[in-house]
Amino acid sequence: MPTDPPAFLSFENVRFDYSGAAIVDGVDWAVGRGAIHCLLGRSGCGKTTLLKLAAGLFTPATGRVRLDGAAVCGPGDAVGFVFQAPTLLEWLTVLDNVLLPVTLHRRATADDRARALDLLELVGLAGLADRGPRALSGGQQSRVALARALIADPALLLLDEPFAALDALTREELQEDLLRLCAQRGTTALFVTHDIAEAVYLGDRVAVMADGQLRHSLSIDLPRPRPRDLRYDPRFNALCRELRHAMDGATGLRRAEAAE
Amino acid sequence: MTTRIAAILLPLLLLAGWEGYCRWSGIPALVLPPPSAVGAALWSGLASGRLLPHLAVTAAEMALGLGIGCLVGFVAGVALAEVAGLRRLLYPYVIASQVVPKLALAPLFILWFGFGMTSTVAITALICFFPLLENTLTGLDRVDPAKRELFRMLRAGRWRTLTRLKIPSGLPVILAGLRVAVVLALVGAVVGEFIGGRQGLGASIIAAQGMMDTPLMFALFAVITALGMLVYQATLLIERWLLSRQAKG
Ligand SMILES: Nc1ncnc2c1ncn2[C@@H]1O[C@H](COP(=O)(O)OP(=O)(O)OP(=O)(O)O)[C@@H](O)[C@H]1O
Ligand SMILES: [Mg+2]
Repeated sequence: MPTDPPAFLSFENVRFDYSGAAIVDGVDWAVGRGAIHCLLGRSGCGKTTLLKLAAGLFTPATGRVRLDGAAVCGPGDAVGFVFQAPTLLEWLTVLDNVLLPVTLHRRATADDRARALDLLELVGLAGLADRGPRALSGGQQSRVALARALIADPALLLLDEPFAALDALTREELQEDLLRLCAQRGTTALFVTHDIAEAVYLGDRVAVMADGQLRHSLSIDLPRPRPRDLRYDPRFNALCRELRHAMDGATGLRRAEAAE
Repeated sequence: MTTRIAAILLPLLLLAGWEGYCRWSGIPALVLPPPSAVGAALWSGLASGRLLPHLAVTAAEMALGLGIGCLVGFVAGVALAEVAGLRRLLYPYVIASQVVPKLALAPLFILWFGFGMTSTVAITALICFFPLLENTLTGLDRVDPAKRELFRMLRAGRWRTLTRLKIPSGLPVILAGLRVAVVLALVGAVVGEFIGGRQGLGASIIAAQGMMDTPLMFALFAVITALGMLVYQATLLIERWLLSRQAKG
């Protein structure tokens, strides 16, 4: 069982189902304050469900999710969520979409607007603030969604494959920006991805999920801040290979179970 | 360009054919007046100012009925969409009332509100109420679940979710309901006047029928059609304006 106290986000024997078989099946996990943990796993293994449990969008059938010591029992204002689909409001401009978390609770100030523009610049969309989301490419939309999750400066970021729709170059830039932001603000993050190299580059720790369980976890002992060419470091590649084997192992276990 | 010319030529051809048929077949003007006679009746009605008060009455009834009916329909739609219990309780009646021919209630309304404008406005409002109710209900229901989840994540309360998510995302459907209501409003106003009106275009048609003035009846049809097209086009403009404003944010 992974222990890196003091845990900021923790799952304690969490189980969840959509009125059927267990989708998240006894997960124990702890993410330290300011740490970035990545979650790998095949499509349909329950990663999104686990993130929504962390967000308080779902309530565990048994077990508990804790955030900063307190049990999570609904969406809180300290949590930012980047959904797997960008989910922008077509009737708002890009800027107003980014400001949505603010304007839902109070009037946006000039300060908020400036911050939103900064975030848009960070995700490389500075010129598109006045466009409608329909006039954006898929990758641009997912970057708007990332900026929207960052506007309220959350203590915990939950990211569900946020960079899946991006080209390799933009993705690497955004990975670096994300690391810089999290380090600056001490943000804790749980990051779901299908890309092993992305998980290793971003994570302090990477967990492999299969069939609703965390089957394997690997601590990533690479220097922080992570230089760009770390991606070509032999240690980096060794970690990727190890994770790849772990994923094969986790799936192999599933096949073996199915054969039984 | 050719369609443009055809669009101008077609009505001219039809009118010419109509005129020619009336001239050569010797059909009595009481049954089918030639367009020239209809034009003359229309012109004398408008020039003498006899038609204008009637036009004003019908337009006012239509506007009032449409306004009241749509407002109440919208509010009721929102209430039914938001309060699940209310909806379970009332929706069967809503469906039942859809199939009731609302115009058949006109005699009852005359009994309640008397002859004149009030009963026509009430009939028109009743007719406009349903498309708005139905479409508001559908529009608010059809919100993308992912967006609902986003609003839940952002801890938007019920009122904010309604005004910032459900109504904007349902607006196209709601406006489609408005378009239906506009057409029905004219039917409601005119037919309401047939039955219980003292003034207005519908009442004038009945009066013209009594005098066996068929050209005047045709002239009134033309005025009613023009009124309907005008209001319909205005609705389309409003709809386009609202949706484009929304698209821009
Ligand atoms: N609303 C739902 N109702 C019923 N079953 C669901 C629902 N959402 C997801 N599931 C099921 O739960 C399982 C896990 O879904 P989840 O979305 O968590 O997978 P995931 O690991 O995020 O997959 P992907 O990598 O493809 O996004 C899947 O088998 C899916 O079919
Ligand atoms: Mg997923």
